Amino acid sequence: MKRPTLSRRAVLRGAGGIAIALPWLEAMAGGTRVGANARRFVSVYTPGGSVIDNGAGENRWRPTGTETEFTLSPILAPFEAIRHKLLVVDGLSMNSAVGEQHQAGIIAWLTGTTQQPDYGYSHGPSLDQVIASIVADGNVLESLQMAVRWGTGKSHGLLHPINVVNFENNATFDPIPPRLDPQAIFDSLFGALDPSTNSDLAARIARKKSILDFVDRRYSSLGQDLGARDKQKLDEHLDKIRELESALDDMIVPTDICLLPERIDTSDYNPTTGLDSADDGSVLNTQTDEAIPKVGRFMMDMLVMALACDVTNVASLQWSDTEAKHTFPWLGLDQHHHYYQHDGNFRPMECEQIVTWYAEQHAYLLQQMDLVDLGDHTLLDESVVFFGSELAQPPTHSKANMPFLLAGGGGGLRGGRFLRNEGIADPSHNNLLVAILNLFGDERTSFGDPAHCTGPLAGLT
Amino acid sequence: MLKLRSSVVACVLANGCYSGAAAGPDTDVADDTVTGDGGGDTGVGACEGQDGGLADRARLRRLTRFEFNNTVRDLLGDDTLPGNAFPSEVIGNGFGNDANAQPVSSLLVEQYAAVAESVAARATETPERLAALAPCTSTVTDATEGSCARTLLDDLVSRAYRRPLAPGELDEIVALQQTFRAEADFAGSIAAVIETVLQSADFLYRVEHGTIDAEGRLRPTDHEMATRLSYFLWGTMPDDTLRAAAEAGELSTPSSVRAQAERMLADGRSRPMVRFFFDNLLPISSLSALERDAVRYPKYTGAIGALMREETHQFLAHHIFEGDGSWQGALTAEYTFMNEALAEYYGVAGVVGEEFREVALDTTQRLGVLTQAGVVAGTIHSNESNPVVRGSFLVQKIMCTQIPLPTGDVLAEIKPPDPDSGATARERFSQHSSDPACVTCHLMMDPVGFPLENYDAIGLWRDTENGVTIDASGSVPGTEGTVDGPVELVRKIATAEPTGRCFALHWANFAYGRTHAEEDSCVQEAVTVAFTDSGFDIRELLVTLTQTDAFLYMPAGEQ
Repeated sequence: MKRPTLSRRAVLRGAGGIAIALPWLEAMAGGTRVGANARRFVSVYTPGGSVIDNGAGENRWRPTGTETEFTLSPILAPFEAIRHKLLVVDGLSMNSAVGEQHQAGIIAWLTGTTQQPDYGYSHGPSLDQVIASIVADGNVLESLQMAVRWGTGKSHGLLHPINVVNFENNATFDPIPPRLDPQAIFDSLFGALDPSTNSDLAARIARKKSILDFVDRRYSSLGQDLGARDKQKLDEHLDKIRELESALDDMIVPTDICLLPERIDTSDYNPTTGLDSADDGSVLNTQTDEAIPKVGRFMMDMLVMALACDVTNVASLQWSDTEAKHTFPWLGLDQHHHYYQHDGNFRPMECEQIVTWYAEQHAYLLQQMDLVDLGDHTLLDESVVFFGSELAQPPTHSKANMPFLLAGGGGGLRGGRFLRNEGIADPSHNNLLVAILNLFGDERTSFGDPAHCTGPLAGLT
Repeated sequence: MLKLRSSVVACVLANGCYSGAAAGPDTDVADDTVTGDGGGDTGVGACEGQDGGLADRARLRRLTRFEFNNTVRDLLGDDTLPGNAFPSEVIGNGFGNDANAQPVSSLLVEQYAAVAESVAARATETPERLAALAPCTSTVTDATEGSCARTLLDDLVSRAYRRPLAPGELDEIVALQQTFRAEADFAGSIAAVIETVLQSADFLYRVEHGTIDAEGRLRPTDHEMATRLSYFLWGTMPDDTLRAAAEAGELSTPSSVRAQAERMLADGRSRPMVRFFFDNLLPISSLSALERDAVRYPKYTGAIGALMREETHQFLAHHIFEGDGSWQGALTAEYTFMNEALAEYYGVAGVVGEEFREVALDTTQRLGVLTQAGVVAGTIHSNESNPVVRGSFLVQKIMCTQIPLPTGDVLAEIKPPDPDSGATARERFSQHSSDPACVTCHLMMDPVGFPLENYDAIGLWRDTENGVTIDASGSVPGTEGTVDGPVELVRKIATAEPTGRCFALHWANFAYGRTHAEEDSCVQEAVTVAFTDSGFDIRELLVTLTQTDAFLYMPAGEQ
């Protein structure tokens, strides 16, 4: 019942843990991998869009110039060093974002579907989950979801449509909770690599196997006595248990490429602040906001290594959620992001400061991915990285001219360009979603709500 | 995932918004299907032919974080709230216990494994902890180890699974322990079994197989009934009394179930469940983390937020268990609970000490739970009070009247008003009453929220905003006349027909782990009738919920 484990890691392990150049057959052209399907997908969410209009009619996000000869805007300036692998995708509208303004936006971003009625979730799977089913290659995790300073504002401790980006590729499109605790993420992803924690690793794995084997049999036999619906529920649980079981058979091995990220102290960061997970409600931790920059960097370092170590091929990072009810003390901003978006009237200067900081973080992530040398290309080159938000312009919640960015070279994606998309026949962002999917070798022509999709957006490759 | 939450209003206007009183499918149920006298041994509201009224309900309910925490505390003495490491539940019915909205993520299963390991390690880390599981462990020798392990595991696993072990099941578990024993010491082998049990479906899910009774109907076994009662009323596993009653076959009749429910409600262990319910019904669970500008609201701190939440809980616990106990009474009570710090916050003199105590309200300013500072502050998520979200909370959550979201072009243009566009909220939100695109829907919310404008964004009383006297007039949809100020508002809400029905609906959703749907109408109507007849007695409502077909029987559809 275990999934095949003919992964690249297996090849590496076969070679005694020494990184060897693999026989890449595809031609390379300046970071673009012509003829090869993309292998990795990374989605990065930031709240509150950008500053498409600063109130004086000035678009602070849009580059100026032509497709190949352009100047980055003030907000995108942090990408200068990696601009040759960046594709700025302007001019699209998130037409499928129908529902509550923020919730429908975050739901539509990766699903291209409308919000279910009555403040529900999505009507379809998110793009990353569909891609995961295509590119999964015996990885420890089919996909990885992480979030920094998540669950702010009014979600009251529940996984809420105001904070969910990822939805399962199953019949009910279940919302997927992101991982929040940086130390727990480290232990899950890299614990086995950490010499300080794996002294009796073999015994531990043997014990875990016996436990999961017994648990596995309990789920199988119990399901026999129940109705179809309950049996299906247990089967879904059992599938996830088997993921854990196969992960035990598939421990990652350090190589020249797969390195243990530096574990940093995050004891000043409470990952469940805002979630109200403590019964007494005493979870407010004023240090937590201050720790966001270092925790964010730690999360990005782990994300890059999760890909480099083949823990997964699909990763998702959320910076906060659509509530964005946290402050930015390191920027000298002591109100929360939503306040600057519109709760305290639109403050374009402060919004620009915040989204520019997010751009700096994202540029760091891209650069780190580009530093992972896989022989004749980098990790970034075989990836597609999608950066987006739930809306474009904070005070109006407008979802026209979405501030989308693509990066990487997977599937022939060509960076170093600015796609203005002005006056195209259909600017619906569903067309971008299906075009991204095509980079992974999936040839479908529609994604998400078909009412908002007329075919793949041209110009990515 | 069909969600029919509550009374859907009947009159649909041209622009897609509703207006008028809440009335709908619930009240369309013919009276002759309801036989809810609650007397004798027949239960409340027989709904035969409707599969217990919950035809499409899953039989498996997974423990919520709240229930997991309570269960490991009672099973293993672990009071570290380890379930808080699990990812949040999805919204579902608002309590996280909707059996049809409990998806399994990879992260959840991974956390089940991690938490099981740490809980098992704690439960066996000292001889004292081990002895608490079975006294024989304190004198265990090579010769007695086998029998001691068997004794320990028989007791522990049957309690964890909330049922007697099946023939041969204990042998399998002992064999598992023996496997671990080959590589670990005695305590380590017990820990590994505990780690296994805590990840088993028998523990994480409430499994119901049911049994056919003398009348040929499918009902929960007595142990399954003990589990139903225990998780509903205590949020945890059955205690010894319930287990003994199940063992003796004494949980098969409505009256025996009623007797247990009454015992359990009278027991202090029901208080945390009531607290959990109201934490999820009212906007009070994040009061210690409100985002407020410290310069503008110097009196608000996280500590004060926690006290506001405590006020609501202390008040409700007193009102329900020692006071008049009715929901209407809770909405119009002339008293609340405060300690010195909170009284100082409110500007109330004469309350001394940390202990909360009963305080009479100035009933020109406050009346009942809906006017408590935490409840009016908790709906607000910024520095500005907002009559729309306050009104929306009262209409949708307290009266269960749905207000549809705007659509299309209207939606795209909506933004909160500029804080500088008017001195008072009524001025800032004036577009809602002048713009035809807004007015129909906002007539359902804003007039309910305006009377609460006498409370600022941290729940304190004010007569003016920015120097302008607040006009706190408003009205309640579906009722006659207007109100002036919060006290008149809550009196009106308390007596409005949808309010009692709505409260019963939330409790039924919580008790049965569901989101109300069409097929529940018969059971729901029976519960509402009984609740109304009891004078909206909350304790009686909780007992009534154990007397319905939905609680006493199982859907016959799937075996």
